[in-house]
Amino acid sequence: MQVEVKNLTYTYSEKSKDLATRALDNVSLTINEGEFFGIIGQTGSGKTTFVQHLNGLIKITNENSSIQIGQFKLQDKKCDYLGLRAKVGMVFQYPEHQLFAETVFEDVAFALKNFEPNLSEIEVQDRVRSAIEMVGLNYQKVKEKSPFELSGGQKRRVAIAGVIVAKPEVLVLDEPAAGLDPQGKKDFLELLHTLHKEFVKTIIIVSHDMNVISEHCTKVAVFSSGRICAVGTPKQVFSDYELIERLNLDLPTTAKIIKKLSAKGIEIDCDLTVKDFVRAIKDKGERL
Amino acid sequence: MKDFSFGQYYPAKSFVHRMDARAKILISIAYIVAVFLVGQFQFMGFLACLLFVLIATICSKVPFLKVLKSIKGILFLIIISAILQLFFRSDGKVVFEWTFIRITDMGLLNAGFIIARITLVVLGASLLTYTTTPVELADGIESLLYPLKWIKFPVHEFALIMSIALRFIPTLLEETDRIMKAQKARGANFESGNIFKKIKALIPILIPLLISSFRRADELADAMDARCYSGSKNRTRFKKLTFTYRDLLGTLLIAGLITGIVFLNITGFLMVTL
Repeated sequence: MQVEVKNLTYTYSEKSKDLATRALDNVSLTINEGEFFGIIGQTGSGKTTFVQHLNGLIKITNENSSIQIGQFKLQDKKCDYLGLRAKVGMVFQYPEHQLFAETVFEDVAFALKNFEPNLSEIEVQDRVRSAIEMVGLNYQKVKEKSPFELSGGQKRRVAIAGVIVAKPEVLVLDEPAAGLDPQGKKDFLELLHTLHKEFVKTIIIVSHDMNVISEHCTKVAVFSSGRICAVGTPKQVFSDYELIERLNLDLPTTAKIIKKLSAKGIEIDCDLTVKDFVRAIKDKGERL
Repeated sequence: MKDFSFGQYYPAKSFVHRMDARAKILISIAYIVAVFLVGQFQFMGFLACLLFVLIATICSKVPFLKVLKSIKGILFLIIISAILQLFFRSDGKVVFEWTFIRITDMGLLNAGFIIARITLVVLGASLLTYTTTPVELADGIESLLYPLKWIKFPVHEFALIMSIALRFIPTLLEETDRIMKAQKARGANFESGNIFKKIKALIPILIPLLISSFRRADELADAMDARCYSGSKNRTRFKKLTFTYRDLLGTLLIAGLITGIVFLNITGFLMVTL
């Protein structure tokens, strides 16, 4: 499903003159199917407001704005939000704060029962089992446990299982790796790649970790004060040093090294992933 | 949910906004007393009260319409009390009669009197909440309750509880908003269905909210402990309440209002007796 956002404008507290704040200002962006799309920008730049529009959690108020995701037209008053949310999954920052049920099984099955109420018990069990196993937990061990007995990392896995159980085609993640330890972060990103290979066709990820963006994303959009200032591959975006500095953002480690080497007259050409960076460095070394 | 502003504070920088919260609370109480002091059918007294609210509203820069809107919430109460007055007064000249309904001129006057009284009280009280933040109000109340210390009432702790509760209302609203969105994203439906379904739909919000409230309370207690908080002893304040010329002016105005009303009452009384 292609995500097509046109002229999206959103204002918080629109009715009050004093409190009104423009969160998004005429944002247009197209995210193609199959993309691993990164969104970066300072806090308060409108990233969260933007992604929350994508599954109708914030509704379009401006009449010139439109969002089309697959067959869903979000500016329509009669848009089928339940159908949309089944197709566009959303993982919030600290997703473990949404756990509520008595058992892990119940919590994971929550979305499934909402989206597909006609599934049989066995089908529900199958789907829940595969979602729990996908996030790397032992189904038999955790299914009867209370989600509140689990450790922080396990809670987050359960929460993510509770989103992917509905098999969304587009998965939106808002700062999903915040507060995870390095191993947890690595596991988590691996999980995203597995999902991307299986049923999630498009991944949209908001992150402050530039290394995550440069390593995994095929495309990046940079937000600043409710506008998009740049869209492109990580290589394109992170080669505009002036822009990155002006927006108080950071460069990924590979880009930092490339920048320093370039200042010494050594030009490295690679796509900023660690693997390609190492290859480019080796090439350069051999040629020197 | 984010559009929700607690109480009804109207942010502005005005004469009234800058007044001492204590003065505003006391003046509001005095004003309410003044409204109730207005003697029977002394509509001039109400006019004076209205004038006072008008002046205060102009000085507060809160839009008139906004102040008027505060009546909406109690419109029902006003109407009910007016109707009761209208139908259950049997003295005075009959103006309208139909089967068992009898409306007298006294009933009409009384209904008008009640409407004027409630409306004026609400206008004044809402002006207080429009111009004073909840935190300022809590500070003001703490300061005003200070004398209760003599009877061992824990004034500081009471005020602390009040201000923590007020402080966390927006946080809880934000949290509710977040959790609601997370559950909506998982297909939760809070709008349709009968009342039982709606109550059941609240569980996925209430449980995470309860858990996060406990977590917040724990964190807050730890943070206060870590900074050696120990009650009211030797504490100083960041925002000191100070009595300024503004408060003096306000006090003079309200004193004038009360004097005027008492004067009106006395002349009215004398005119009747003489």
